[in-house]
Amino acid sequence: MSFTIGEGETYGLLGPNGAGKTTSISMIAGLLEGDAGEVRVSGEIISTRSTAGKSEIGLVPQDLAIYPDLTARENLAFFGRLYGMGGSDLTSRVDEVLDVIGLAGRSDDLVKEFSGGMKRRLNIGIGLLHKPQLLILDEPTVGVDPQSRNAILESVESLSDEGMAVLYTTHYMEEAERLCDRVAIIDEGKIQAEGTRRELVAMVGQKDRVTISGGGDLTAAAESVRAVAGVSEASSSDHQLHILTDDASSILPELLACVTDSGGTIGGVEVFEPNLEAVFLHLTGKALRD
Amino acid sequence: MRVLAIGLSNVRRMLRERSNIFFVFIFPIAIVLLIGAQFGGGVDPAVGLFAMDDGQIARSVVSEIEAIDGIDAFSYETEAALLSAVELGNVQAGVFLPADMDQKARQGEVVKIGFVARPDGFGAQLQSIIGAGIADVMKPVGAAQFATAETGIPFEQTFTVATGIADSSTGIVVEVSAVGEALFPDTLGRFDMGAAQQLVLFVFLTALAGSAALILTRQLGISQRMLSTPTSVGTIVVGESVGRFGVAMVQGLYIMVLTLLIFRVNWGDPIGAFLILVTFSAVGAGAGILLGATFKNDQQASGIGVMVSLGLAALGGSMLPLELFGPTMQKVAHLTPHAWALDAFAELVRRGGTTVDILPELGVLSLYAAVLLILAAWRLRVAITRT
Repeated sequence: MSFTIGEGETYGLLGPNGAGKTTSISMIAGLLEGDAGEVRVSGEIISTRSTAGKSEIGLVPQDLAIYPDLTARENLAFFGRLYGMGGSDLTSRVDEVLDVIGLAGRSDDLVKEFSGGMKRRLNIGIGLLHKPQLLILDEPTVGVDPQSRNAILESVESLSDEGMAVLYTTHYMEEAERLCDRVAIIDEGKIQAEGTRRELVAMVGQKDRVTISGGGDLTAAAESVRAVAGVSEASSSDHQLHILTDDASSILPELLACVTDSGGTIGGVEVFEPNLEAVFLHLTGKALRD
Repeated sequence: MRVLAIGLSNVRRMLRERSNIFFVFIFPIAIVLLIGAQFGGGVDPAVGLFAMDDGQIARSVVSEIEAIDGIDAFSYETEAALLSAVELGNVQAGVFLPADMDQKARQGEVVKIGFVARPDGFGAQLQSIIGAGIADVMKPVGAAQFATAETGIPFEQTFTVATGIADSSTGIVVEVSAVGEALFPDTLGRFDMGAAQQLVLFVFLTALAGSAALILTRQLGISQRMLSTPTSVGTIVVGESVGRFGVAMVQGLYIMVLTLLIFRVNWGDPIGAFLILVTFSAVGAGAGILLGATFKNDQQASGIGVMVSLGLAALGGSMLPLELFGPTMQKVAHLTPHAWALDAFAELVRRGGTTVDILPELGVLSLYAAVLLILAAWRLRVAITRT
């Protein structure tokens, strides 16, 4: 397994349970020693035998690795001290992180009184505390309600915008599609394919499907649409026009113009983009949640 | 800094748990109080008096009982009131002086003095003490009766003379001395021995119970998360050890200071007592971490911890003084660190020893601590780096 994550990039490790995502992360975070090879973060080799480079990494483990009998502030301060922070710097940074994770109002409450979503947010906050170069999030939304899940995803998006490199593992395809600039599909401890969503989809020959419902001369419209660059197939039936294309979103206005120009009328438009689930199925022969 | 952060988080978490507040701070003091209350001293037993006669002899008996050291005497107006007081436990015993006491005594007749006591108190001892007091009063009565019979002088006069002679006579003084060194000297306060025993018992018990907190830290993945920070395994091991040691020290110092302030417990030479606590806390910390690093289930570790700590406490003299053990059991007892700690406290408290006098015990405790901490560090290192 070999990959590189750039500054400000969100890189996804997508795979089913048992694929090796957490093991990979443990090696990247210096918790496990690999049989061969090396992990470098900001040029430093990461190892279980050394603390070098670990201050550049923020690990958000899948399990809630926080003390339930300490407050949110005490948990943050505790890990802050382990990252070598202290004094007023630590105090102000703890306050900042509490704001970012939306727990400023509950900072002095014991964690065991928190909801699952609040605990997840605190779990993430600890990883952000020391402003790492690389933030590793291991399935951070497992068991989280939809509202908290959305808040977590928004936080990750903003961190990436701020220039932080993010390694994100998930078996939720929609999270990978939303967050990740590049995705590695991992199974049985090996990367099966790597690239942007579009590259992965193209890799397995999947195309976008556009269905236009309407009336008029849809047969002529289909003929006209076939001439548009990027359209590989177009056919009409039962007041519907079916189009296969490499990138529906970029040529959709042109397609609609073609239909109306050739005598068709438009009642509705549906776009189906092939997702990573389909890619994963194609590559591994099994579903993501297997 | 990191070691301190890990150590302090342990102490903070222990103080945060409400059940710990009871078992770590309230329960030991309550046990010290309970044991101290069982070993004499303190409140004197109360005795009620009801005198139906107001004569000279009856008044002397009342005065004699009131003057007995260690007894609080109270007069009652009626026989029923005194009986009720005994039944209710307001007084431990009641003494009834009959209406014709003086007359019968003067005539040399038998005087029946009533005595009642609760079956669950100090009745037998009080009967003996009060009987001796009354006998002291009745001796001049007998002498006065003899003098009146022989000389014809009125009883009032002969009784006054006999009483005066009895008061001025030194009599025979019997001095009692014990041969050899007393195991429990008179200067030993009633809380002194129990406090040291309970300190040793509870510090070790809390240290072993703390293994559950360590297991929870591992189960939650916090130990692993610590490893993802720039914190070495060695720092985590030392930090956890400092934490368990800190918890033991907090509890030990609390018991020492509070029992000193409240019960005036004599802990002997303060430096020596502090060093016993330091070395014994290190033993407890080592044992607690070893247990926490060996077991995976916190409930299993807690159960075994309580069983082991109570067993060692019983064997080591925390429940029964070591001096009451037979020679073989004394040797067995000294396989436990408890016995060495209690020996050291006994040297300081009962024999007025100094730190120098307890160096052998401190040495043994340090050895225990070193061995346990090394084993614990090895096991903990394995446990937190294991995948």
